[in-house]
Amino acid sequence: MPTDPKAIAYFAAGIGAGLTIIGGAAGIGRLAAAAMEGIARQPNAAGDIRGAMIVAAGLIEGVTFFSLIVTILLAIK
Amino acid sequence: MSATLLLLAALAQAPQAAPPAAPATHEAAQPHAETPAPHAAAEAHAPAGSGAGDAPSEGGHEAGASQDDGGPAAVLMHHVLDGPAFGFWSKHLISFVLAALAVLLLTQAARRSYRKGIPSGIGALVETFVVFIRDDIAEKNIGHDGHKFTPLLCSFFFFILVAALLGLIPFPQYSEGHWSFAGTTSTGNLAVTMALATVSFLAQQYAGISKNGWAGHLSHLAPPGLPVFLLPIMIPVEILGMFTKPFALMVRLFANMLAGHMVITALLMLIPLMAGISTAFGVMIIPVALGLSLFIMLLELLVALIQAYIFTLLSAIFIGMYAHPAH
Repeated sequence: MPTDPKAIAYFAAGIGAGLTIIGGAAGIGRLAAAAMEGIARQPNAAGDIRGAMIVAAGLIEGVTFFSLIVTILLAIK
Repeated sequence: MSATLLLLAALAQAPQAAPPAAPATHEAAQPHAETPAPHAAAEAHAPAGSGAGDAPSEGGHEAGASQDDGGPAAVLMHHVLDGPAFGFWSKHLISFVLAALAVLLLTQAARRSYRKGIPSGIGALVETFVVFIRDDIAEKNIGHDGHKFTPLLCSFFFFILVAALLGLIPFPQYSEGHWSFAGTTSTGNLAVTMALATVSFLAQQYAGISKNGWAGHLSHLAPPGLPVFLLPIMIPVEILGMFTKPFALMVRLFANMLAGHMVITALLMLIPLMAGISTAFGVMIIPVALGLSLFIMLLELLVALIQAYIFTLLSAIFIGMYAHPAH
């Protein structure tokens, strides 16, 4: 186990990036699955569902980027 | 207009604000001289294998002794963060002014293309967006008087979109004795997005206060029918919510633009990195790096559109929340 704080910071940044993407991809994957199912059930609501899906995906990614900023700060400071 | 001046003043301060990850020698002229020392010492512990292999390639890339104390992370941050360009102006300031000018030119061209109420060419494109913003974003979320906020929302949308698209164009720049790329997305600067979020916040407060008055606006913080003992919790949470909403807008836009640029820069930096190991590797990696960068740039186009739309949509939703509180 390295004891240099810089090395631990890099290590933590890597783990943080991995955890970030797990959370983000899981959330957006569920969202996409629900959207696909909705479009399959009612094809003429596809436009509305697509719009709502994009908005929700943007919001979830926004939260993902919050934690990504923390990870990047760890890696560069 | 005054918002523009405020923004220009804020950005003109940006190079003196000492972006935290800029390499040591680039901060020599800046007042914050204490940050280079720990950073230079920290960069000496850069991940193994990249420090020694980088010095010859980064020397050719940076044409000077300025980068041999940093690893690839330092070079990446140097390209992506704000920095001086053309003297004391900053890259993001120039990019921001260009984006604003482009939006103004776009709207003027669109207005002039109207013949007897029917636009043609660029006017039709702009009108599609404006009508979409007025009908689906403003009126749907703010209510029957949503069209009064349409100019503001259109400003947000077009500025963010044009700034993001402009950031994808690599402008060459000659600084510190060598050519480099000065094309940066001005919304990838926290100051710019903070200004956009501040304008959004002011618009939300204006909407609430002009519709409901000072007392009405503040009394909506506590929805009616709430048990009294919950008030001490609800009021600070609601007040905090007033500030976290624009804060989230700011960080979301900033992170999206910055992350895209960092990925593109990192992929393109693979070329000199590999060339430092051996020239054959460098040549072999060129199609891979270029292909990946092109793909990420295509993604960036999509992300630019989506982020502009989300910023505008969320601003409209928040304005509607304060103008016509459902409770």
